[in-house]
Amino acid sequence: MPRKGGSTPPSTRFRRTDSDSGIRTCIILVVLSLVMFTASVREGDNGGVFTTMRGAWMTITTPIRWVGGAVTAPFQGLGNIFTNLTTDQGRLSDLKAENERLVARNAELEESEQTARRLESLLGLQSLYNLQSTGARIISGSTDSWSSTVTIDKGSSAGLSVGMPVTDSNGAIGQIIKCGPTSATVRLITDENSAVSAMIQSSRAQGILRGSVDGTIRLTLVRTDQTVEVGDTVVTSGLGGVFPKGLPLGTVLSVERTSGSLYYEIEVEPLASAESFEEVLVITSLTEDQKATSEDVAEADLQDTAPSAAANAEASSEGEQNADEQEDVSEDTEYYEESSEEG
Amino acid sequence: MQVKDSVRSRRDFGLLAVICLVVQIALAPNIALGNGRANMALVFAGLASLMIGGRTGVVCGFVAGLIFDLSTTGPIGLMAFLLTIGSFVTGIEGRNRMADDFAGSMSIFARLCCAVTVGYHVAMLLVGDATSLVDVIFLRSVPTIILTMLAFAPFAYVISHETGSALSLGGKPSKSARSHGSRYDIGNL
Repeated sequence: MPRKGGSTPPSTRFRRTDSDSGIRTCIILVVLSLVMFTASVREGDNGGVFTTMRGAWMTITTPIRWVGGAVTAPFQGLGNIFTNLTTDQGRLSDLKAENERLVARNAELEESEQTARRLESLLGLQSLYNLQSTGARIISGSTDSWSSTVTIDKGSSAGLSVGMPVTDSNGAIGQIIKCGPTSATVRLITDENSAVSAMIQSSRAQGILRGSVDGTIRLTLVRTDQTVEVGDTVVTSGLGGVFPKGLPLGTVLSVERTSGSLYYEIEVEPLASAESFEEVLVITSLTEDQKATSEDVAEADLQDTAPSAAANAEASSEGEQNADEQEDVSEDTEYYEESSEEG
Repeated sequence: MQVKDSVRSRRDFGLLAVICLVVQIALAPNIALGNGRANMALVFAGLASLMIGGRTGVVCGFVAGLIFDLSTTGPIGLMAFLLTIGSFVTGIEGRNRMADDFAGSMSIFARLCCAVTVGYHVAMLLVGDATSLVDVIFLRSVPTIILTMLAFAPFAYVISHETGSALSLGGKPSKSARSHGSRYDIGNL
């Protein structure tokens, strides 16, 4: 009922009837969103209308992301400043930069040495990091709390595509999982769903480097008959055919051997950090010498199958008592092979 | 004047949407608490449903969710689904609650935030992107809820204390409404 003065009072303007509660709209939009969700999950990474939509959205929002990255860049180091208030920041930064450079250089040299020893007669001394790559800049972190990703300012228009590995000055940081025309999303090796074929540089023990939800990375599927020491450098093995062989990933932080377990539990400290918003390299193609050779594959197979055979033989000799353990060995071997393909 | 208020209301609400969009795309990814990042789509949907509610609130929730989905690597439609339902329920419960009721609107938004965030992460768990429910709850959902609540608080404070603001949808508060802790006498809704 109108009040004095003829104008509609707020109470009347905001009075809703049942038809205005939005129930009909809600039902329509819920159905629409469920259809989109189902179609999106079914579409996966194969490309389609949702991938196109996402690519277009990434293209439109790239300038905003770039500005956001630039604005927040000065605040990225706030945590370090508060943690190290008692230390001279200039000195600390210099030492840290120098240390990172030397660690990366050391890993590179050790890899060169190892390769030279094994293949000197066949290949001679070659540069391991003759990477065919494109430079890019990290402009944004992960948009959601679900994944550890970064966005870089180059996309398919610069020749990038899904699956290409990404490195910074210290080593591999991840792999492109979404690629728009002007930007691309990189899944970091610390992401829970990340898996990279890796090996211990000194002992050549093969495994799979996996990220985790707490930000640490772990080298899995390394058999306990291999040699792993704290401080060993972990490098890419090249077995997956995605990352070039010998790219530094991190150093072994801790090694645990659980009684009765076939594999070590190895925690790895990543060398590269994507938190400092810097330039990265996207490796666009691998040369032949950067891929795993048939010898590497054979060596990896040998590491996996020899102990399995031994375990099987041992299990047979001990009779049915160890049947369960034998089953575990087979399952783990199968899992290792699958993971290697994924990596 | 009604027409002016209406135009100003739309303009300010559009401004609010743009602010939330820019913060979501430009700033939220770079400000993290552990694995958590503020969800500005949720903030906008909460504001829309608490200020306006009804059909508009539901549509705002859907659009905000869709934009969030496009900005992430997750499946498209999941956040849109959750925010559509969340906005509808919040719109029924808390429509017009923003004005002069900061604590009340914070309380309602906290429930919306918890439900949507946990729902989203559990759904991601169910589609196979994680293995541990504990990780999902404590390492992803809780930091996200904290950051989102922190992002919502300034908006809620400003809107609830902005007397006569177009964001509060115009008009002077009625005496009876003030006595009941609400800007408007919403009568027999």
